[in-house]
Amino acid sequence: MKAVILNGAEKDDRDIDNISTIISSELSDSGFEVQSLDLHEMKIAYCLGCFECWTKTPGECRHNDDAREVVRQFIQSDLSVLLTPVTFGGYSSNLKKGLDRIICLISPFFMQINGETHHKKRYDSYPHIIGIGVLPEEDKESERIFTTLVSRNALNAHAPSHSAGVVLRNQESETIRENIRSLLDEIGVVQ
Amino acid sequence: MNQVKRILLLVGSAKQTISTSELIGTYLIERLQSNGYETETLFAHKLLKSNSWERLLSSTDRADIIVIAFPLFVDCLPYSVIKSLEQIAGHRQAKSELKEQTLVCLANCGFPEQHHNDTAIAICRQFAREAGFKWAGALSLGGGEAIGGQPLFKIKRTTKNVMKALDLTAEAIALGHPVPQEAIDSMAKPMVPKWIYLLMGGWGWKRRAKKNRVLKTILHRPYEG
Repeated sequence: MKAVILNGAEKDDRDIDNISTIISSELSDSGFEVQSLDLHEMKIAYCLGCFECWTKTPGECRHNDDAREVVRQFIQSDLSVLLTPVTFGGYSSNLKKGLDRIICLISPFFMQINGETHHKKRYDSYPHIIGIGVLPEEDKESERIFTTLVSRNALNAHAPSHSAGVVLRNQESETIRENIRSLLDEIGVVQ
Repeated sequence: MNQVKRILLLVGSAKQTISTSELIGTYLIERLQSNGYETETLFAHKLLKSNSWERLLSSTDRADIIVIAFPLFVDCLPYSVIKSLEQIAGHRQAKSELKEQTLVCLANCGFPEQHHNDTAIAICRQFAREAGFKWAGALSLGGGEAIGGQPLFKIKRTTKNVMKALDLTAEAIALGHPVPQEAIDSMAKPMVPKWIYLLMGGWGWKRRAKKNRVLKTILHRPYEG
């Protein structure tokens, strides 16, 4: 099984780099082959909202940049981990610059899920998603927004299952590790 | 003598043609202009491209009201807007004193149901809290593609509820009030029936693909492992 960690931390964010290492080690121990992408290092253009990835170069953005690696790793993985400093309840700009470019992975055509409109699948299978947000201190509203955002992403990206949670910067490594294990247990892909 | 009030519109769409975000944002600030406000419009993607954060920060400092008009990208704000908000929050959190400034958001999405915008609006509200703005509320528009790049007044039959929502919002915020519930409800009304929007949407994608000679490969999977 393959897993990719999309790391939305700023450069030299040691806390999040440490958390990324813990995630990576937990995933390896669970039998995943892990790839980590540090998005702050990647040259990724902003999405123009032109929809040419649906109607001109189907399935691929016209920008030939590092986002192609993000898209490839995302769709070819069994599990995608979205790791980010919680930013106003949502993702950091570093993570979002990569995620904005994954819309080429779905179809332009609509379908209904529980009476709500979504885009159909383009591929047969999509990765499970785990969202891990990092906060400096407890903030229930930020945590609520963050977990909702990850569930909305999972729904629109046709993830077979998902989980989301928040860890604190000053937490002990063992507590962070336990939280990550529990998020992995929730999605049910670990043997 | 009263000091002139200033309003800053930050447009979150990077479309090369005129976007729904720009159209609804401009409509709102023009109503405020007629109430004596001075207006300024910035585009988040242009600030990002030219790294012009100082310009964003000085315009934000001068403004009494900030309006952020954006399209929904992957269930939240586009990258360029989040980057802009990070810059503004960092700048304001470093200040010891902040003048009272109001934040209003106009969210639009391509899905017919406007509630897809809820999480993005919650993020804007949280930004207001963290960056020390007075949160005046948001308008949420679904089926934004129905506007099709046309000025709102030119397609009144389609946009009458959108214009009503923006008129009510302009009146309220000019008086220092939050976005009224009547405006929120008016913006939430579908511009066209859902079944027509879905039918036209599917047809529109096929028409564009056919024009680009890729209709047969529209569901191509270049990243299949």
